[in-house]
Amino acid sequence: MVNAFDLVWLIAALPFLSFVVSVTVGRWLPKEGALPGIAATAGSLALSLWAFLTVRSSGAHYENELYTWIDAGGFELTFGVLVDPLSSMMLVLVSLVAFLVHVFSMGYMNDDELHREKGGFPRYYAGLGLFSASMLAFVFSSNLLMAFMFFELVGLCSWILIGFWFREEAPPSAAKKAFLVTRFGDYFFLVGVVGILVTFGTSGFADGGFPQIASHFLETGEGADHIWVPGDLDTQTWFSILGLLVLGGVIGKSAQFPLHTWLPDAMEGPTPVSALIHAATMVAAGVYLVARMFGFYAGLPTVLAIIAFIGGFTALFAASMGVVKDDIKQVLAYSTISQYGYMMLALGVGGYVAASFHLLNHAFFKALLFLGAGAVIVATHHHQDMWKLGGLKREMPVTYYTFLAGSLALAGIVPFSGFWSKDEVLYDALLIGLEQPLFLAAYAMGLLAVFLTGFYTFRMVFLTFHGEPRSEHAEHPEPLRWNTKGPLAVLGVLATVTGLLNMKPVAELIGNHDILYLENWLDSGTAANGGEWMGSLTYHHYGHLVHEVAGLHEGSPPPSAELAPIVFGAISLSLALGGALLAKSIYDVPEPERMTDRLGPVGRVVQRNYYLDEFQVWLATGVTEPVARASNTFDQGIIDGAVNATSSVSLFSGERVRRIQSGAVTNYVLVIVMSLIVFVVAVGIVGGWFL
Amino acid sequence: MIIEALLAVTLLGGIAVLLAPDRLAGKLAFGISLGPLLGGLWMFWQFDGSGNLMFDSAAKSFESSLSGTTLLSMGPWDVQWLAAVDGISLPLVVLSTILTTLAIVSAWTPIDERQSQFYALVLFMEAALIGVFTALDFFVWFVFWEGVLVPMVLLIGVWGGPRRKYAAIKFLVYTNVASAVLFVGFLGLLAGLDGTITSFALPEISQAIHAGELQGVGPFSPEELATVSFFAMFAGFAVKVPIVPVHTWLPDAHVEAPTPVSVLLAGVLLKMGTYALLRFNFTMLPEVAMANAELIAAIAVISILYGAMLALAQRDLKRIVAYSSVSSMGYVILGLVAFTVYGVGGATFQMLSHGLISGLLFMTVGVIYNTTHTRMVGDMSGLADRMPVASWVFVAGAFGYMGLPLMSGFAAELFVFIGAFGAEGLQYSPIFTALGMFGIVIVAGYLLSAMQKSLFGPFRLETDYEIGRAPFHDVAPLFVLLGLIVLLGVAPDVVFDMVESATQPIVDAAAENGGGA
Repeated sequence: MVNAFDLVWLIAALPFLSFVVSVTVGRWLPKEGALPGIAATAGSLALSLWAFLTVRSSGAHYENELYTWIDAGGFELTFGVLVDPLSSMMLVLVSLVAFLVHVFSMGYMNDDELHREKGGFPRYYAGLGLFSASMLAFVFSSNLLMAFMFFELVGLCSWILIGFWFREEAPPSAAKKAFLVTRFGDYFFLVGVVGILVTFGTSGFADGGFPQIASHFLETGEGADHIWVPGDLDTQTWFSILGLLVLGGVIGKSAQFPLHTWLPDAMEGPTPVSALIHAATMVAAGVYLVARMFGFYAGLPTVLAIIAFIGGFTALFAASMGVVKDDIKQVLAYSTISQYGYMMLALGVGGYVAASFHLLNHAFFKALLFLGAGAVIVATHHHQDMWKLGGLKREMPVTYYTFLAGSLALAGIVPFSGFWSKDEVLYDALLIGLEQPLFLAAYAMGLLAVFLTGFYTFRMVFLTFHGEPRSEHAEHPEPLRWNTKGPLAVLGVLATVTGLLNMKPVAELIGNHDILYLENWLDSGTAANGGEWMGSLTYHHYGHLVHEVAGLHEGSPPPSAELAPIVFGAISLSLALGGALLAKSIYDVPEPERMTDRLGPVGRVVQRNYYLDEFQVWLATGVTEPVARASNTFDQGIIDGAVNATSSVSLFSGERVRRIQSGAVTNYVLVIVMSLIVFVVAVGIVGGWFL
Repeated sequence: MIIEALLAVTLLGGIAVLLAPDRLAGKLAFGISLGPLLGGLWMFWQFDGSGNLMFDSAAKSFESSLSGTTLLSMGPWDVQWLAAVDGISLPLVVLSTILTTLAIVSAWTPIDERQSQFYALVLFMEAALIGVFTALDFFVWFVFWEGVLVPMVLLIGVWGGPRRKYAAIKFLVYTNVASAVLFVGFLGLLAGLDGTITSFALPEISQAIHAGELQGVGPFSPEELATVSFFAMFAGFAVKVPIVPVHTWLPDAHVEAPTPVSVLLAGVLLKMGTYALLRFNFTMLPEVAMANAELIAAIAVISILYGAMLALAQRDLKRIVAYSSVSSMGYVILGLVAFTVYGVGGATFQMLSHGLISGLLFMTVGVIYNTTHTRMVGDMSGLADRMPVASWVFVAGAFGYMGLPLMSGFAAELFVFIGAFGAEGLQYSPIFTALGMFGIVIVAGYLLSAMQKSLFGPFRLETDYEIGRAPFHDVAPLFVLLGLIVLLGVAPDVVFDMVESATQPIVDAAAENGGGA
């Protein structure tokens, strides 16, 4: 009997195979690489589901070493597989979205006339295949180093796909920016990985890995002998530094403030790519990584506070920019940044389940929204300025209703998925905030962002689908085929129902915690081989660390433990509804007006993204480049000048150089012979010296 | 006998090529170069040695019966023929043979005059390189060391670009002065060992120093003598590596040299410097290295960051790759001074990896130049449209240079970082390492910018040349290198096992002598 766990490596190997097929023979295949990609991701999805169901039926964790990359100097660096509730859920999510995006791409790329003219489909599907493979391998990585390696590879794929239309000016530039900004974050991540390897001698995630060693030390003070600390640094401080270093990579990839600036530019890539990479999966890699090694973070109060603050602030900050964007993909991009802020906020307050829950829901509804935007874009001949759209509701009903489902989920309207997870994030933040006022500020920013989210989401819906068409392309959109509508329908259903997995307010109200399927799921854990308890990866364990080791205690919410979730859920729901209604009153009218001009100087600052892009461009071109040029001048003038000046006495001075150069080869040979003579004389001196 | 056979085949082959007519020279040289290539690969396959040749504990591999033959006597000392390989030198021998063969193939298109002389010089240089990496007698080694320079100077000076003569003379004078300095430094050691050694065999000298037999000479105490000799040799080898501030010959030499010569210059010649640093300075005098660890680490970090900043300022693709070598070689120094298995082993691995990756990038720039006749970033854009294969290989090579995982550069740099981060003998090792690591951000900056500007965007070319298909023999070497880069990135163990076995004794000796680790 073949075990699902033994085939987990195939989940990544299949899309890799489709990458190889697309690169080598893709151009001669009927759909130029689409079909192998679809087949491969369908296979990955089936295997992921199998692994998921096996975890479910046996409650088992599974860890296995696949390959020893290097074994030297006291520790091995290996590739391994770790399948547990978290990674098996994520595997299903990634392979499902990858599969749907591959199907959608056939409609978006192969069926579209303009895209057919531009060509390059084998490269496109090769990129998607390599991305899917790297992302899935990242998800089942059993150690931090392997995770880093695939983290970098997804960055490469992101670069390839953002710059897919390389014959134009903007996409290659956006691709460069995306890679550089995330590389800046990854620099800290790599320092962190190296630090963790040196500190613990292992970078494993599961039992016996660095999160367990670290939390065990923090809790009991035991095991200090096996922990390397530089100089006389306090061990906990050193752990916090390591945690913050890894967080650098997280902030870059998950587009958190201040390294979020690459994501809106990344919208230059084809829209299905934005759905897969820049909404549902790669951007999730950062948050997933924090969840993956949460046992390490959970015991470090300072780092948790920083995570929570960055998250809360990013949620609000990005939402404010989403309000003023005119390009539908830009709105979605800022909304993505903002939503990942919520997940960070959740992790910062120990809300491991809430973060995973929101990650899951967001992946589905945001992939749906991006694919919906893609459907609008191909149907209207590449118009994505919302002021050129409008009235698409009648002509594109499937797109409209699925987009609406996604929007309701994004805005957090009950009972769509986003409501339940966002509410749980905020509620977890509130509980900690009641005891630790600092965290209350993060909660407040998250809560305020709910209103903005409701507003920009419905501004986008009304401008795109309601009212009258504002251009001829919007008047007569092209019909779409099954391959575009199918994925939308699947994701539309998911965006509607996945919230039911963890209805915390309902569970509290009726006092039945069995309906918290996700929470129970993430709290299960026995090891497959030998049946040993893999306690170090469970929600229970993380909660214990956050409360007892990091000292973040939960307050008791008013009015009572049973009613509070409902009350605070109602507060955030009414904020979301308020935002949506305000958007309706302004934009759901026959001739909506641009309000952004009326916002005055504040509006301008927001529209220019708080000048953060300008600031970063200035750092690159206004600071780094002049420094490089100055170094070059210094190098040519001073260092090389000194060299030339020193030697000018003999060789480089004008006259002599010219004379020497005139004789061409013979003169060189002369110089060489002379130097050899010098050598021989030196030998002679040595030889004779001691005679 | 295999080492002697490789040397003889290469040298005699070079003479044969010199006498062959021009139109046959390229093909003939390629055929002959397969001899050392296959021989090198066979040695790699059959390698059964272990340990480090400089130590008594080494199990020597491929040492022939000729070893120990006295070539000439100078007073109490004998100059001997002594050649063998260990886990550090064998990979470098193989690298030299691979890159020579590929460089010969890549020369078929651009080299169109005095071909038999060109290819003969390349083969002579290969012979000298094999000699440098295998000879274990100081004088024989030094003859090979200087012997590499002669063909290189001629290759730059005759077949180079417009300023070839300036570049060739600069290279010659610079490296010869450096040779003189290192020679004097080594003589200092010999003087300090007066009476205890009977030959110039490097293992004997090394073991004598480790046994504490170094004596004071003139006004110098043994420790001072060791320090002076260490820095004299360090300065001499630093020029070859090159390390900031003695690096300025490199960009001139690279820019003027024809592409196949650049490939060998960056791919193998620079490694002579790091190899010699490892064999002489860091193996023979580890206590001096450790006593000055912070200084050396600072030099390494400056080389990394400053070299990268210089690369960032360049507009010529070849200059960019040339300056990036300065940066990459800084990692080697950082790894060496760490004196850990990952550090020293990673440094050795970086020598190989950089040889392959910079070789690949130079070759790709050459393919682009052969067609466009320009290398300036501003003169072209959107090349990926017309030259897709060369462009995407350049992309692959550039990402390799940036340290993309599963390519050799990542493995090499990661090993160096791991080795240096926790180095006990180096104070503030995490800070030095973290500073040096910032190089991975700058390298991404200049390579991505160069690619964005020249390979992508709308197609535009300032020169009046038709862009046609590159011939198969131009492109094939690129894929060979790419394959090797990925192989070493996916399975570093292929080489690292033997590297580790040869670096472990150095680390142990450093731990004993320096009292660190």
